Amino acid sequence: MRYLKISFFSLMILYLLCSAAIAARIEISAPGEQTIPLAMTRLLPMGVGAVQPAVVEEFQQVLQSDLDLSGLFDLVDPAAFLNDATKLGLRRTDIDFNQWRMLGSEALIKGGYSVSSGQLTIELRLFDVITHRLLTGRRYVGKLTDVRKIAHTFADQVLLSLTGEMGPFSTKIAYISKRTGRKELYMMDVDGHQPIRMTDHRSIVLNPDFSPTRKELIFTSYNKGNPDLYRKEIYTGRESRLSLKQGLNIGGRYSPDGREIAITLSKDENSEIYLIGTDGTIHRRLTNHYSIDVDPSWSPKGNKIAFVSDRRGNPNIFIVDIHTLGVTRLTHEGKYNATPAWSPKGGRIAYSRMDNGVFNVFTIREDGTDERQLTFGKGSKEHPRWSPDGRFLIYSKDLNGGGRSIWIMRADGTGAKRISARGGNDSHPAWSGRW
Amino acid sequence: MFKSTITRLVLTLFVLTLLASGCAKKPVAEQPTMTEQPAVEMQQQQPAAVVEQQVSDTAPAYDAAAVARAAELAASSGLERIHFAFDQYVLTDAAKSILVSNAGLLRAAPVVKVLIEGHCDERGSDEYNLALGEKRALAAKNYLLSLGVAAERMNVISYGEEMPIDSARTKEAWAKNRRANFKVKR
Repeated sequence: MRYLKISFFSLMILYLLCSAAIAARIEISAPGEQTIPLAMTRLLPMGVGAVQPAVVEEFQQVLQSDLDLSGLFDLVDPAAFLNDATKLGLRRTDIDFNQWRMLGSEALIKGGYSVSSGQLTIELRLFDVITHRLLTGRRYVGKLTDVRKIAHTFADQVLLSLTGEMGPFSTKIAYISKRTGRKELYMMDVDGHQPIRMTDHRSIVLNPDFSPTRKELIFTSYNKGNPDLYRKEIYTGRESRLSLKQGLNIGGRYSPDGREIAITLSKDENSEIYLIGTDGTIHRRLTNHYSIDVDPSWSPKGNKIAFVSDRRGNPNIFIVDIHTLGVTRLTHEGKYNATPAWSPKGGRIAYSRMDNGVFNVFTIREDGTDERQLTFGKGSKEHPRWSPDGRFLIYSKDLNGGGRSIWIMRADGTGAKRISARGGNDSHPAWSGRW
Repeated sequence: MFKSTITRLVLTLFVLTLLASGCAKKPVAEQPTMTEQPAVEMQQQQPAAVVEQQVSDTAPAYDAAAVARAAELAASSGLERIHFAFDQYVLTDAAKSILVSNAGLLRAAPVVKVLIEGHCDERGSDEYNLALGEKRALAAKNYLLSLGVAAERMNVISYGEEMPIDSARTKEAWAKNRRANFKVKR
């Protein structure tokens, strides 16, 4: 018995030493490097008003799933929580940090909620358990239906205060779905909830992209027969044709400043990459080759564009400098490399490579070194796109006969999970900027 | 393959001729009173296109409109699709002989316009396949052009991998889907 007690104590001391050391370098930026032990208590009712267990449950589930997905945290088992978890005290002087420290947590989320006449208030605090510091405090006021939005927004805040870089959980995903039998444009939350159909073209809608500055999407549609580029304002629903040149008007991608669009046009009977204005006028032709040139993707600085070309035989990724028009080849391995997506945080370019008829997602440094395969196994994974913080990738995965769905994973390929509901034949996800 | 195409061409022409002679209602050229008719009346009876045609004494007279209709019908039902190898837009010999037959039908029906649709199988990236489908449609168009079909009668559109005719995931289905279709429009 005494032996046990001694070993327990020495473990505790060892543990405290360790956690003190860890607390000093709590600033981390990428998943996998280190996880933060985090305790997340359930929301407690504040003041008067009816108790809403459904609100508490949904909030808990959304926030936890965001934090799980980030891969940055090691959530402390709620079964081990002591009595501080049941006390509403949100001020740092009210909290018994020693209890949380004993459980091994270094960060603590506490919160309360109240509902009065349909109005939901949620107050949240993130504490550093080691230094007893308040890292972030937020009060959200909204409707009862805003629970998910509040949870996502706070998850973004948690990432911001612990890593210096805001999370992407309150942004939106646009994608193409065949749920109605035809390919139409849809939009959903990052966790796949609240999908809404944006178009009713009843023809073929393809390959959307978000404006980085406005609540606006561009996409290609065969609505009027020819594959033209359309622009759609998300909240007004207003829609117009932006580029309607004879032939292809496909793969439109806004420049990082939102002023220009890179696009594939084939008005001269050969697909080339062009820059057009947001009024549809051609600013510049970037490629000039009789081969196929498609799929532009901007560098975060807006001075280079990655694209797909078969100018050396098979489809490969190339990079064109938009000022000098100099072209360099990026990928050399594999026989079929396509759909490049340049990380907004720079450094790496994601793309999909087809091998034996199956696509998988790869990333490569923009100088062509350090190629890494992120996905494996059956079912094509295509159309990778980055989250605005560069932490995550979304892509479409073919479930071998079960249709295609949208999946999300961390930038290192871990934590992959399906986010769009089965049976929709979903493809071509695009990630919005900060919403 | 080539032989059967020629046979089909000959048959088609034969049918056309039959139709033409069968439908002829007014053997105008052989009417002795024709020269005595005022020129104005004659123009009312005959479409301008026929007046300008050189018709030899022995050639059977025919109803141009009926012939045109028959040729249009033959073109709209007889234009055959062509197929391609994976990730290729080069015309195969089989594709070329089909195009020869298609060109014959199109030349016989000068008023019809044709929309050439390029398609791909589902393998490959969507955007790349849209461009590839267009290359296929253009390869067909340029070959028809070289066979005397006027450029302004032909339009191309690519559907990439969006409209498979067989959605199975087999070599046979993919081979069927890698194609250029011809749709007749007036």
